[in-house]
Amino acid sequence: MLTPLNVLTRLATRTPLAQRWRWRGARFYLSLCCCCLLLVVGCQPRPSEPGPSTTGASARLAIGTTGKVRTLDPADALELFSGNLLYNMGDRLYTYQSGTTELVPQLATALPKVSDDGLVYTIPLRENVVFHDGMAFDAKAMAFSLERFVKNGGQPAFLLSDSLDAVEATSATELVITLKKPFAAFTDLLAFSGLVAVSPQAYDIGPGKFEPSKFVGTGPYKLANYGSDSIRLDRFDQYWGDPPANPGVDIQSFTSSANLYNAFRTGSVDIAYQSLNPEQIDLLAKAAKKGDWKAITGPGSNITYVSLNLRDEVLKSPEVRQALALTIDRQLIRERVFNGQVDPLYSLVPSIFEVSKPVFQGDSNNANAAKAKELLRKAGYSSNKPLQVEFWYRSNVPSDGPAATTIKALIEKELGDIAKVNLKSIESATAYNNLDKGTYPMFMLDWSGDYYDPDTYIHPFLDCAEGSTAEGCKDGATVGQGSFYFSEKMNQLIDQQRQETDPAQRQQVFTEIQDLLAKDVPFIPLWQRKEYAFAQPDIQGVQLEPTQAMPFWPLSNSSS
Amino acid sequence: MSRSRALQSYVVARLLLAPLMLWTVTTVVFLLLRATPGDPVDAILGPKAPAAQKLALRSQLGLDQSLWQQYANYMGDLLHFDLGTSLTSRGQTVWDIIQQFFPATVELAFCSMVVALAIGISAGILSASRPGTIFDLGGRLFGIITYALPMFWVGMLLKLVFAVQLGWFPDGTRFPTRLLPPQGPTGLYVFDSILSGDFQALGMTLYHLALPSLTLGIVLSGIFERIVRVNLKQTLQADYVEAARARGIPERRILVLHALRNALIPVITVLGLTFAAMLGGAVLTEVTFSWPGLGNRLYDAISLRDYLTVQGIIVFVSIIIVMASIIIDIVNAYIDPRIRY
Repeated sequence: MLTPLNVLTRLATRTPLAQRWRWRGARFYLSLCCCCLLLVVGCQPRPSEPGPSTTGASARLAIGTTGKVRTLDPADALELFSGNLLYNMGDRLYTYQSGTTELVPQLATALPKVSDDGLVYTIPLRENVVFHDGMAFDAKAMAFSLERFVKNGGQPAFLLSDSLDAVEATSATELVITLKKPFAAFTDLLAFSGLVAVSPQAYDIGPGKFEPSKFVGTGPYKLANYGSDSIRLDRFDQYWGDPPANPGVDIQSFTSSANLYNAFRTGSVDIAYQSLNPEQIDLLAKAAKKGDWKAITGPGSNITYVSLNLRDEVLKSPEVRQALALTIDRQLIRERVFNGQVDPLYSLVPSIFEVSKPVFQGDSNNANAAKAKELLRKAGYSSNKPLQVEFWYRSNVPSDGPAATTIKALIEKELGDIAKVNLKSIESATAYNNLDKGTYPMFMLDWSGDYYDPDTYIHPFLDCAEGSTAEGCKDGATVGQGSFYFSEKMNQLIDQQRQETDPAQRQQVFTEIQDLLAKDVPFIPLWQRKEYAFAQPDIQGVQLEPTQAMPFWPLSNSSS
Repeated sequence: MSRSRALQSYVVARLLLAPLMLWTVTTVVFLLLRATPGDPVDAILGPKAPAAQKLALRSQLGLDQSLWQQYANYMGDLLHFDLGTSLTSRGQTVWDIIQQFFPATVELAFCSMVVALAIGISAGILSASRPGTIFDLGGRLFGIITYALPMFWVGMLLKLVFAVQLGWFPDGTRFPTRLLPPQGPTGLYVFDSILSGDFQALGMTLYHLALPSLTLGIVLSGIFERIVRVNLKQTLQADYVEAARARGIPERRILVLHALRNALIPVITVLGLTFAAMLGGAVLTEVTFSWPGLGNRLYDAISLRDYLTVQGIIVFVSIIIVMASIIIDIVNAYIDPRIRY
């Protein structure tokens, strides 16, 4: 039969000469291809030694991360790493003085003038600021950015939609914001990474109208390339403030902490930031002490806690909740599970805030154990009728498993035969879907604050809009946390702290809130994370802000 | 009926079956994703969003409609080639995501396949043509070992030795971090760098492709080695080969021109299906080498419960696999006269 393959074969093999030629030719071309390939691959410089066509590349800085950038749209970005990119590419009305928690104007020229009723904020704005697309910044553009943040309905929209009533540009350099109700932390909220000014030419207002792969703001860096695994930022030459110390930054995303660790060790990236596992941090920190590279540590705003479901028959009893809280030795968890890379947390408000009161830091462990046993006996439990409780954790969070196992062991050790903990795990996406249905009696979760104010660790945990002491919360933040906690007194205190403008008075209210938290125990705080970054020895200017942001503009390479 | 006419009918029948296969796959994907635990609204708004905002979005996305209504909308969109918009990277269509990540997968799949075929077929020929020798034993062992090796383990091992310890290869990623990747119409760095005449970028691309391709190629080569060895051995004992030997045709010519051609027919089937499956993303290789391919993106979308992205990528990959299997069937029917249709 005549097929194309047969024809080709016959043609190629018609004569012995042709056949020999064919084989020689094939060998020749194969050898040539192999030689070319070997030359191309063999002559490649190591990644740390860029070739001639990459002039200037060595002055650029490469930052490695395992953080996924889901979106760069400020109206939809809520994750830490996206927030960090927006922090470097955009400007907000207010920011924090580098290295401190002091609020300073950024696109504003002064702190806001607040009306007596605490509802109207008048903000003077900076002039001579341009967007990355060349458009001039003014109050209208800022009003557009804030409105878009709320109206597009992205992940962080709730932060502003709860409090914002109206935004108005009264002149080119003055913005007036009206709130629905007084909110003491509003100026801090305006420093949230997503509340950056964006160019009205580049974005639209409307539900779901997002631009996940572009950013046009006013910050020191502009987005040069948004790749599938890397993001390239270039210095914005028309920036109104001090220019960055480097020509640009390249952010490389890795699929695992092991890949990030190896890339940093081989010099493929200059800085490794978010997230390495405890063993890798330990190894790098030890090598940093020998001078192999630099280790930078900063306080973290991420907290881990156990949510106690008050609808659960067993956990309904405050004595049981108090007893469980008393048995947890946070120092032991810190050493055994995290090699000292977390700090014990004795309140929902992390210790980075002055108002934090270590209300869960009891007496010595022995005394705690005795007190816990007494509380359980009071609640009706004994060796014959032991407390039995399910403790859930997220199976896809690597540190949750060892930590939950340690907590179970601690509870059973301290309470002896009076308590039995049944450990269970579930994937986080399923867990978040079921938390508000009251499926889990005890669940270990984590939380990162959205803005730099203790309110972000109180209101989303303890506030309940509708409920009763007997039935628990029906609608409110505590439902979403899987706790269903309701307390009239707590609601009053939360409202009070949100409206109180006097810092001393507000601190007093926060103290009362934390005391009530320790009494009612709807949550058991466990630990707060520390942030780590590692930099090659010739990299200068690496710093971690108290807000967890890493500014890129002071970074430079002393060898270039 | 003549053979060519029968072949035509066979091709038409296979092509007519394709929509049925695609409908089955898309329906199964739709139902499975709805049965998976986790809520897409949580994926979009995150766990921090208030209940009222979640409720409004559920209604906006039509997730409060009946399953039948959702299915009708989904199939309607598919018929218009609309794969939807990502739930997590809102504003980005699933087609954009595929266009962004697919080229990396194509490059890796193609290079791995070249490595796998080169190693697998050579080892298979060597093993089958020298029965009972050390080459035969070596070939068998090679086939079994590479077939049994876990991909992630080989990847990590090669990476640790050749990238981290010896520094001969980069330790992952598709292109050096500090350099701008080749920009071009295809998204395939090899082609784009050639089109722009940037041979340094081409070198960088091949340099970064080398280790992931070798890893995947070595693991896959075991399958090809086994198929070639078994089929070539059988073919070398066939009557027509004995007849060729009796006519005094040199053994090498018999091996290459007569036996190998027939022994390679099953390889085409495996090659086509393996390549098509790899175009869906070699997830483990991509994760091990931080390779920004479709498999890696699919893995992220599953973790984030981005149903529309998962659905879109699976439908896209299914189309490739269905089309590949049809092409393989047709090619096999065309070149192998023993196939009845």
